[in-house]
Amino acid sequence: MEKLNKNSKFNLVFKYALKDLSRNYRKISSIIVTLFISLFILSAIFTIEDSLTKELNDNAKVLLGGDLEIDYNRNQGDLNLVNKVKEFSTVSQMIEFSTMLSTVDRTKNKSLFTRIKTVDEKYPLYGNVIYEPKGAFERMQKEPNTILINESLSKTLKIKINEKVKVQDQSFTVIGIIKSVPDVSGFVAFGDWALAGKQTLEILKLNGIGSFLNYEYKVKFYLNDDPNKIERKIENIFKDDEKVKLRYPENSASGLKRIINSFSQFLSLVSISAMLIAGIGIANTLLSFINQNNMSIAVRKAVGFYSGNIKTLYYLQLLILLFIITIISYASSFLIVPVADKYLSDGLGLNVYPKFSLVNYIKIFLVGLLVLIIFSIPTISSIDQVKASNLFRNVFQNLQFYYSKKSISLSIFLLSTLVLIFTFGSEKASYSLGYFGAFFICLIVFFLLSKIVIYLLKKFNFSSNIPLKVSIKNITQAKSITPITIMSLGLGVTLLLTLALVGTNFKREIARSIPDIAPDYFFVGIQKGEKEKFEKGIYKMDPNANIEIVPMVSSGIVKINGINPNTYIKPDNDSYWVIGSERRSSWVEAIPKDNPILKGNWWDLSKPNELQISLDAKVAKDFNIKLGDIFTLNIYGREIDGKVINFREVDYRDLSINFAMLFNPQFAENIPHEYLATAKFNDANKFDETLMLEVLPSLSMIKIADYLSKVTAVLNKVFIAVTLISAVTIVIGLIVISSAIMVQGKVKEYQNLVFKILGFSKKDIVYSSLIEFIIIFMSVILIATFFAVIGSKFIIENIFDLVWKFDFKVLIYLGFSVGLITLILIMITNLKYLNPKVYPLIRNQ
Amino acid sequence: MSTLLKLKKINLKYQTGKKSISVLKNIDLVIKKKETVSVVGESGSGKTSLIMLIGGLERPTSGKIIFNEKEITSLHEDEISEIRKKNIGIIFQSFYLIPNYTAVENVALTLELNEFKNPEKEAKILLDRFGLKHRFNNLPSQLSGGEQQRVAIARAIAMRPDLILADEPTGNLDTENSLLISSILFNYVKEEGSSLIMVTHDPKLADKAKRKIKIKDGKIK
Repeated sequence: MEKLNKNSKFNLVFKYALKDLSRNYRKISSIIVTLFISLFILSAIFTIEDSLTKELNDNAKVLLGGDLEIDYNRNQGDLNLVNKVKEFSTVSQMIEFSTMLSTVDRTKNKSLFTRIKTVDEKYPLYGNVIYEPKGAFERMQKEPNTILINESLSKTLKIKINEKVKVQDQSFTVIGIIKSVPDVSGFVAFGDWALAGKQTLEILKLNGIGSFLNYEYKVKFYLNDDPNKIERKIENIFKDDEKVKLRYPENSASGLKRIINSFSQFLSLVSISAMLIAGIGIANTLLSFINQNNMSIAVRKAVGFYSGNIKTLYYLQLLILLFIITIISYASSFLIVPVADKYLSDGLGLNVYPKFSLVNYIKIFLVGLLVLIIFSIPTISSIDQVKASNLFRNVFQNLQFYYSKKSISLSIFLLSTLVLIFTFGSEKASYSLGYFGAFFICLIVFFLLSKIVIYLLKKFNFSSNIPLKVSIKNITQAKSITPITIMSLGLGVTLLLTLALVGTNFKREIARSIPDIAPDYFFVGIQKGEKEKFEKGIYKMDPNANIEIVPMVSSGIVKINGINPNTYIKPDNDSYWVIGSERRSSWVEAIPKDNPILKGNWWDLSKPNELQISLDAKVAKDFNIKLGDIFTLNIYGREIDGKVINFREVDYRDLSINFAMLFNPQFAENIPHEYLATAKFNDANKFDETLMLEVLPSLSMIKIADYLSKVTAVLNKVFIAVTLISAVTIVIGLIVISSAIMVQGKVKEYQNLVFKILGFSKKDIVYSSLIEFIIIFMSVILIATFFAVIGSKFIIENIFDLVWKFDFKVLIYLGFSVGLITLILIMITNLKYLNPKVYPLIRNQ
Repeated sequence: MSTLLKLKKINLKYQTGKKSISVLKNIDLVIKKKETVSVVGESGSGKTSLIMLIGGLERPTSGKIIFNEKEITSLHEDEISEIRKKNIGIIFQSFYLIPNYTAVENVALTLELNEFKNPEKEAKILLDRFGLKHRFNNLPSQLSGGEQQRVAIARAIAMRPDLILADEPTGNLDTENSLLISSILFNYVKEEGSSLIMVTHDPKLADKAKRKIKIKDGKIK
């Protein structure tokens, strides 16, 4: 017998898939909505991440400020070597430093610790400085005592253009406001900063440590030169200079990239959770849709359609739907980019633009496809149960999820693929894997919980209260929506509560440290002869102020046991910052109160001529340092060997004076040094920063409260974004529940009709729905709280290394809010079934 | 007339729990090409089961069914679907039109499945022939019972099958519509030369067939 060829068979099935979809889209609207929301969130995350990564990669040279950067840190460097580079390329010199910037001629002047970048006329080598008014940047380079400030500084100190400000004892005119600078990778673009001409350096008193000086030379190669050759040439010039660090565009914003990757990894995991919850709803709605089409499927089988063709028809409909929804959700995600751009340009000084990426679209489509197939396999497989012979008997069995060995294996395979997609390539694969593990454990527990609830309620038959009996019957009846409600609500609530507990613990830890431990101010840049002057100045304003002054010296670790640590310690090491550049170190006689010794002994007084080092225990662990190891330190150009003799526990979060390395005072006292001080005032209002600057013009003051409020403001923004995204999982969960109720709609309507006939009042029906909800929600909230407590405790204690505390208030607020919203939704969805039309139902129409 | 269908020692049993119910017992039947046969009998006698077996919608417990000289009992489900698609049209008592397809689309479904060149055009010609020109684009819910059954007949015969199976085709219709449907059905069979096996409780309708088979307790009497 002649058979249809594969192509024409497919075309026919495709045509009918399109036709059916165009007629049935209303019936599967909840699939469309849940799929759209979850794919939109996923698309938004992928698009923003992609735009950011592209921005960082495409503008790597712009972000670095050149084809190569010669970084001398606190030293001016070897100008002879720099001049050699100038012979075959363009070199722009810039020096960054931190100092106080104050308003003048006001009744109450204000000061702010500001990062200032001095640039020459060649700056910027790549990209543009965005500023206003026109010509201000050029004026700044030519006219002495002029300065450009950034928008944040202008807002904080309320400085207007042409207003005078004071930097140390010099007066400057603010001639413009900067919106952005291109080379943000090595510069503090976040916070308060200013740009000044290179002549500024000559009129200010800057010191190496207190001013956080940084000398950089940005290099731009000539257009026709081979970049690789020039790079090798420059490396060769500096090969014997140990103080220099050469940086390249490819690792220009590695820190930023790590933050972006970690954050987008977390958001991707939340969004895939939303998709998996949506999958539960999709499976349910699809089953109801197939049940509605039971007769049409039987007719198709009767006229000669193969079962496989009919299944393909449904898979094709889902595929077409997915294709359209991914296009719409991907396109819509571009609308989020301007919002992200606003946050990112404020926070990081980066601008992102919507960029179409076919790879990204395919990734989103693939994720959607996997979720859709995983959850539709048991549903669409149920088509095999439909028999054309049912048409003769006029009896249609209610279809159930159908699992065969083959379909279970396929589902597990696809699920593993999905997990692997999100795990490999993510910043921390183990966290992703752990997250998925926790997600599926929660899913299984909530499924088991639904079975336990049903089992226990079936045993509960000693109440004579009719609404209670009806609600128990509704929960326990065959094909009830209890498992779906408990699973989708449970997962959503667990995620939301976990994130809320993480957020509140995090914020509490930050807020807690300000009044208890931290000083009010940090003071840097106190020179050797200024110590007394400083103390006098402080006590004059507040005689009861608590001052702590420690000596401070800058040193770099050149070798550890004779080997350059940069050759084997990678930048992703948590303690890389200790060897990354020169660090400040100090010395003390006695063991600091908040730095207990974990291993080794305090200073060996019998060896005053040897450098002894007390090291942060975490650094020791990260670098695998043993007691007795030798550090070769570069202190003011001299290489000195020191022995590590103890490990201290350093908690930088207490915001008091903490150093990774402490030296024995017997040896270190003779090293040229300056001082670092902290002050805690009886009344912080008594302290006037501007008056203090009159005593010590080059002093830098960092107000802890201001600094922390800035950090908290950024964190708040992050948590708002995270909470919004996690709330999406709740929204999807609610759609799943309401669609599950609607799936039961006909049965519910019929049941309500019977109740009506039997004399049941609307109040009784509503009352039974209420009891049904309370039973389900109470069981969900208890387990969700349990998981949220475990999850948030793990995250806070193991990932953030903070103290975790149970926040009952947050749980009550959130639990109550989610419960109320769910209840309202259930009531609204049930409302339309409260008034069943008697005639069509009793005539079986 | 040559043989179209041959049933050899057909038995059909259903298992309900531990009990086995024998629905058809040792049925031997031969249907010739262009022959019209009515199947009568009491409710539960096995009439519908018989045409379900002939249509390949159920498998017999034992015995052989040979259709167009090909044994179909041992074929794979997809192969039986292929035979049904091309050679067997089925008409049901409850019409079973696809609810969200128009009259034309319901008829075109079988034509498209059989790769007709202009399925919609062919469907319209057929519906016009059955007096449904004004109902081309109506959904089943907008049609009367008689109109729905005419569409269902058009769908069953659209691909000019060798065999038409009709299960109580007028069972849900009033007298006037019953007469109309039976005349349409028998006229078509006469004109196109298809065979017809029709299950009915209506003696007048049964008499219209050339041969009448009576089934009682699963056996042909």
